[in-house]
Amino acid sequence: MTVYESDLPGVGKKHEVELDGGARLVIVTHNTGKREVFRRASADSDSEKLFELNDDLARQVGTLLEGAYFQPVQSTSIETLLGDNTVLEWVEVSDDSDVVGKTLGESELRQVTGASVIVIERDDEVITSPGGDAMIEAGDTLVVIGARDACRDFVTLVTGA
Amino acid sequence: MAADLLEFGYLLVVLALTGAIALRLGLSVIPLYVIGGVVVGPYVAGRLGLPYVAEGEVITLLAEVGIVLLLFFLGLEFSLDRLRAARSNISRAGAIDLLVNLPLGVVIGLALGWSVVEAFLLGGIVYISSSAIVTKTLIDLGWIADPESEPILGTLVFEDLAIAVYLAAVTSLVLGGEGGLAAIGRSLAIAFGFLGLLLIAVQYGTSLFTRVLDVENEEAFVLRALAVVVPIAGAALALGVSEAVAAFFVGMGFSTSGHRETIERRLTSVRDVFAAIFFFWIGLGTDPTLLVAAAVPLVIAVVLTTPAKVISGYLGGRVYDLSNHRSLRVGVGMVPRGEFSLVIAALAASGSTQVMREVIPSFAVGYVLVMSALGTVLMQRSDLVERLIFRRQSAGADS
Repeated sequence: MTVYESDLPGVGKKHEVELDGGARLVIVTHNTGKREVFRRASADSDSEKLFELNDDLARQVGTLLEGAYFQPVQSTSIETLLGDNTVLEWVEVSDDSDVVGKTLGESELRQVTGASVIVIERDDEVITSPGGDAMIEAGDTLVVIGARDACRDFVTLVTGA
Repeated sequence: MAADLLEFGYLLVVLALTGAIALRLGLSVIPLYVIGGVVVGPYVAGRLGLPYVAEGEVITLLAEVGIVLLLFFLGLEFSLDRLRAARSNISRAGAIDLLVNLPLGVVIGLALGWSVVEAFLLGGIVYISSSAIVTKTLIDLGWIADPESEPILGTLVFEDLAIAVYLAAVTSLVLGGEGGLAAIGRSLAIAFGFLGLLLIAVQYGTSLFTRVLDVENEEAFVLRALAVVVPIAGAALALGVSEAVAAFFVGMGFSTSGHRETIERRLTSVRDVFAAIFFFWIGLGTDPTLLVAAAVPLVIAVVLTTPAKVISGYLGGRVYDLSNHRSLRVGVGMVPRGEFSLVIAALAASGSTQVMREVIPSFAVGYVLVMSALGTVLMQRSDLVERLIFRRQSAGADS
């Protein structure tokens, strides 16, 4: 991806972002803080204004686009960052998951991935610190702790995604 | 005193109303402020026996501050780094613009039988496009996002620098240019000597300027900025040097001081108020019946300088490697004239000949009214202009 920057004396700055198919996204940042966003379908066509935002709103929308509030990588799970690389993850067990009907020990999830199940939520019931003989049922939500990669592997194994 | 305050209040009401009309109609405020001044000035409202605003000393002074602040802001925006970054393209497009339009105006003036200085004033008026109107129209039409905005804005920057040099020269010609070549030489030497010293002060005094404005309090900041630029401009004028150019240099000094954005944020409204009074004051001094006397030069200038700007702008667009279509837009986009033509007219009005005092100011007002309207309309209907020109061209190629 190439971003072109140019000065607009007396107005502000212009950034052009190459999109697929020769189109460009053009962002004009005024000295007043106003942002105008245009799309130019091809080099020959005229820019078509999409919308404009004031400074505050532009920053908020920018943060959203950046993914600071929400990362759509795993939409079935919610993860919370604890330390630099330790995450808490909620994983829902679907009906067709391979681990349904197995105990935690039989599933060998911890041995394979390195992430541990610390809570099993089943309807209104909360099983804390489940042992190796705790049974995994369809519809359970497993709360998992571990390194980011371990949790990602865990999610992949359980959901088959 | 009560009468003066009332008159000033009247002026502000007219400015507010014309500003509202401009906003409503989507027009530039500059020509409308001028028209407002003409209508409530001594030559229209005065002659009709209605209450009118006289062209008194107070309003003249406030208008003068308007000129100073307009040029001060221009200097603020003007960074040498910026010019350096796009040097070759800007200077080539700018040189074409200068070499086509300024001499054309001078030739028109000479053909009308005017003196060299008068013709040179006409050259400046028809040369300089309106940064304010052009930039606003670029934004309104969305051209700001298209490649043509770069040569247009670049050429405007070049013109701003050219107008600083031009004003410095012309001011000394108009104010001191009666005593033959020696006197002209002396006043030019004083002008460039003073401006040279100022430039050095600005170049090496940036840290001092920065310290002067190092204050959190908004009121103190605004007052200090004005307390630097206005006295320097005044000192320049007292020496017969262009106050506008002095203000421009002070602005350039502040542009690298790290306070630029704060100045722009806090002083823009101050500038806008005084600039509005300046445009209004230009209207006050305009006798519409003198427009008749200026009708011949006006018609000639409009007919000749409109296509000349389109052509020079087109060539400027080609310098930037733009297509025919976009290059033509560059040309059309340079047509509006405005604030700086009026600054030159204000300068001419302080001259000694009848052409300078009466014909040129009326001419400039008429010219700015026509070119600001014509220019914006041409920009809005550039598709039509393009069809007209390129069809003719291809028809010519066929036959």
